[in-house]
Amino acid sequence: MTDSRSSIAALSDQLADAVAAASAAVVAVHARPRLPSTGVHWKDGVVVTTDGTVKQEEDITVTLPDGKRIPATFVGRDRGTDLAMLRIPSGSLRVAELGDPAVLRPGNLVLALGRLDEGGARAAFGAVSATGGKWRAWKGGEIDRWLQSDLTIYPGFGGGPLVDSGGQIHGINSGALSRPLATTIPVGTVSRVVAQLLDRGYVPRGWIGAAMQPVRTDEGGGLLLVSIEKDTPAAKAGLLLGDVIVAIDGKSLESFDQLLDVLSGDSVGKNVSLDVVRAGIQRKIDVVIGERPRGRGRAGR
Amino acid sequence: MPSGLFLDDAAARLRASVVAIVDGGHGAGFAWRDDLFVTSAHVATARKAVVLTPDGRAVEGTVVGRDVDRDIALLHAPEARVPAVTCGDPYALRPGALVFAVGHPLGVRDAVSVGVFQAVRAVPLGFGMAEQRPRRGRSPFIPWVQADVRLAPGNSGGPIADVEGNVIGVAAMIVSGLALAVPAPDLERLLSKS
Repeated sequence: MTDSRSSIAALSDQLADAVAAASAAVVAVHARPRLPSTGVHWKDGVVVTTDGTVKQEEDITVTLPDGKRIPATFVGRDRGTDLAMLRIPSGSLRVAELGDPAVLRPGNLVLALGRLDEGGARAAFGAVSATGGKWRAWKGGEIDRWLQSDLTIYPGFGGGPLVDSGGQIHGINSGALSRPLATTIPVGTVSRVVAQLLDRGYVPRGWIGAAMQPVRTDEGGGLLLVSIEKDTPAAKAGLLLGDVIVAIDGKSLESFDQLLDVLSGDSVGKNVSLDVVRAGIQRKIDVVIGERPRGRGRAGR
Repeated sequence: MPSGLFLDDAAARLRASVVAIVDGGHGAGFAWRDDLFVTSAHVATARKAVVLTPDGRAVEGTVVGRDVDRDIALLHAPEARVPAVTCGDPYALRPGALVFAVGHPLGVRDAVSVGVFQAVRAVPLGFGMAEQRPRRGRSPFIPWVQADVRLAPGNSGGPIADVEGNVIGVAAMIVSGLALAVPAPDLERLLSKS
């Protein structure tokens, strides 16, 4: 056997080992008609998959690596980050071995795993294409790291893990966040959403209860308040229709996203200081960020 | 490049056994014996086809066997003298193992594409295969070698091989991006019957 044959065969073995190791924590999730999606046993008794693949919240089952099918209970979902969480009996299968997505660099070999039936785990192979810092998904959720690969997310692979060549899991693959690219929701974001879903069954979103429109002022950009609802953080703080917010916590406003950033994460209950121009005079107004009432769309932040 | 982490040995060996089949359209095939070639039934549709050998000759081939249900055709081309492939066992592969295809995607001769093995079994429901009334040779209910390898028109009839270059399947079609190939053991059964 020549060297080149043995080393490529060794890489092939290593990839198959990585699939075998990681797939011990990967299930098929039956929460929609016909094709199941994939889920990861993130912590004992907790299965994570993508929000978009959970079409029913009752009568959900999961297929374990040994082919056994067991019932699972819906816990909650977060549309913003495209994640959903299920409960299964503790000790049903191995818990995922989580890696640190920050170590992944463009060019690293990675795998996407899927479990579609009782026929074993499946894999897709590729490389990390691009990495980067925090970003906001079009669905509104804040994602800790940009992690994109050239992997094909086959039907049913959504909700499955991104796995490195050592078998560690670096996040959950979503086809819905930036189709057709394979985007991974990194470990940190998944763990944060899991903690919030376990705590409350949903992910609280920051909210001040006012609608705004970007405007230009002499000094730069601002957000013009065009409606303020009663008994909301904005109303309680004394903001008035026609006020223009020109800075948040001393930082001048360049874009609407800055306000979204302030309202994201664990913002509920925090105090922010707004620089507001009212009738030509700038003043400071403090607002305590509230929790957005549930069941509301993107309006009325 | 010093690492030796390349498929070139296996790919060169397999490419030496891959031919192009010209029958109105264009497809791939490979040598089972030095004068007997395997391709897809949907590539060799007539009684005769031209076999283009790796060393650039065009020789005549006669269809001597055809199984439309399994999408396989056998061509006899006595003048071809192309080295035969070795066969591997897809049932012995683990998901994630490297595999590669050789074919002529979109007319590019002897192109190699690399990916990983997924499964050898019936195609999962929801892949857009069972939905339609199965056409002949396209039943979702029979086992297919399924691999994450990029194929294109022109790969049909060509081999998909393991990392050693042993043929594990005959590239047949792409369903929802997934490469499907006729398992090599099925091929051996067909050949032993003909």
